[in-house]
Amino acid sequence: MKAFLQICPALLFVLGILAQADSVSTQHAKVELTSDVANIKPGQDLRLGVHYVLEPGWHVYWINPGDSGQPPSFKWQLPTGFRAGEIQWPLPERLSSSQLVDYGYKDEVLFIVPVHTPANLNNDSPVAIIADAKWLICREVCIPDRTQLRLSLPVSSSAPKSSADAPLFNRAKEQLPKSAPKQWKTSVQSQKDDFVLNVNAGRSLRGVMFFPLDPGQIENAAPQKAVSTPNGVRITLKKSEVLSKPITTLRGILEIAGVAYEIEAPVSSENAQK
Amino acid sequence: MKQLHRHVLSAGISLLLVVSASAVRIGEPAPTFTATDSSGNTQRLSDYKGKFVVLEWHNQGCPYTKKHYESGNMQRLQKEWTGKGVVWFTVISSAPGKQGYVTAAQENEYAKRMNASPTAVLMDQQGALGHLYGAKTTPHMYIIDPSGSLIYNGAIDDHPTADQSDISGSKNYVSAALEQAFSGKPVTTASTTPYGCSVKY
Repeated sequence: MKAFLQICPALLFVLGILAQADSVSTQHAKVELTSDVANIKPGQDLRLGVHYVLEPGWHVYWINPGDSGQPPSFKWQLPTGFRAGEIQWPLPERLSSSQLVDYGYKDEVLFIVPVHTPANLNNDSPVAIIADAKWLICREVCIPDRTQLRLSLPVSSSAPKSSADAPLFNRAKEQLPKSAPKQWKTSVQSQKDDFVLNVNAGRSLRGVMFFPLDPGQIENAAPQKAVSTPNGVRITLKKSEVLSKPITTLRGILEIAGVAYEIEAPVSSENAQK
Repeated sequence: MKQLHRHVLSAGISLLLVVSASAVRIGEPAPTFTATDSSGNTQRLSDYKGKFVVLEWHNQGCPYTKKHYESGNMQRLQKEWTGKGVVWFTVISSAPGKQGYVTAAQENEYAKRMNASPTAVLMDQQGALGHLYGAKTTPHMYIIDPSGSLIYNGAIDDHPTADQSDISGSKNYVSAALEQAFSGKPVTTASTTPYGCSVKY
């Protein structure tokens, strides 16, 4: 078979096409389903990615869109035995417009989804993967859009080769939030109008921004008062006007000089501290 | 003219500062306002003491607003609740030149074509009313009770999408709150995160 491929460039070309996906032109964006590998090895997990290239000024949203908007969603059609995981959301940007703040992405973003593949997969035919993607794209105007994305990947028992888009995945990985270092201690004090988030990292932290994972906990557009301490940072976050019940945890991303860390801080009330 | 413009701008900013200091809170008096409606009448919140008042932030070009108008959902709510004596104000806070800005005549033509039946449409092109209440999205819904207290602030329902097909399976927060308040019960879900397009101040 290998010898046959070597003497048959035309067939190689056809297989090359099979391993590729089409970029779909949608309103103000090009969207493509891609993977970090060029072939599937049965039983070895892979990463799929939905890649958006947006026209200047347009944006799509983070899992918590902020004051307005809606995050994209992908519904997967996968062969038996395949399992798609959750979207890995890269660090968003604060997108502000007249007293409102949204969280999202401009220019380009890759939404990575880890996929489990079954061990009992035969090598005869390529695997067809379909994603029904729905999203909201906004500049000043918002447009809900949807499309069907397709990707076909050949199966082989040899180790998966990196795809042409592997560098894209590597770049996107750097934008994914990391787990906060184990020695960090985070806590939140609930005051009348504010949450005061304390991060003890064993070193002073500067240039820090908090992105709330859960909607409706803080006022997104309120300025975040971050004060560096010898051991970390203390950030005052204004409570959301629609927050009606006490919360027990404040979850989100802490961006420190471009690097994102996941945090989950227990919340204690003023009274409990006394 | 430039001087005047700057003057107006600084007046607008100082209003905003005042507003951001006095947040709207459930159970507290809703901020009073005076506004001009699309028929040119002056509408004062204080004139409606003793009645429930609904505020509905609106932008006819926003897909989330369209979800509730093209399905007839918003008109059904307006008809049902104004029929029960509720005062319903649709509010348009899009600034001139921004998406969703309409003249009074354009709005009246739209309301007629859509069979909308709010009590009045408040033309808030300066965004004063929007900022006073902290309206973030279209739609964004508020309910004020007969004593003038705010009893609901948030989304229209529990499906933050632009799909009309989601409406039938949604819990409508505005109806739920009004039903409870009408029967003298406390509103169990008094605040939610509003969803939709941003208000185009």
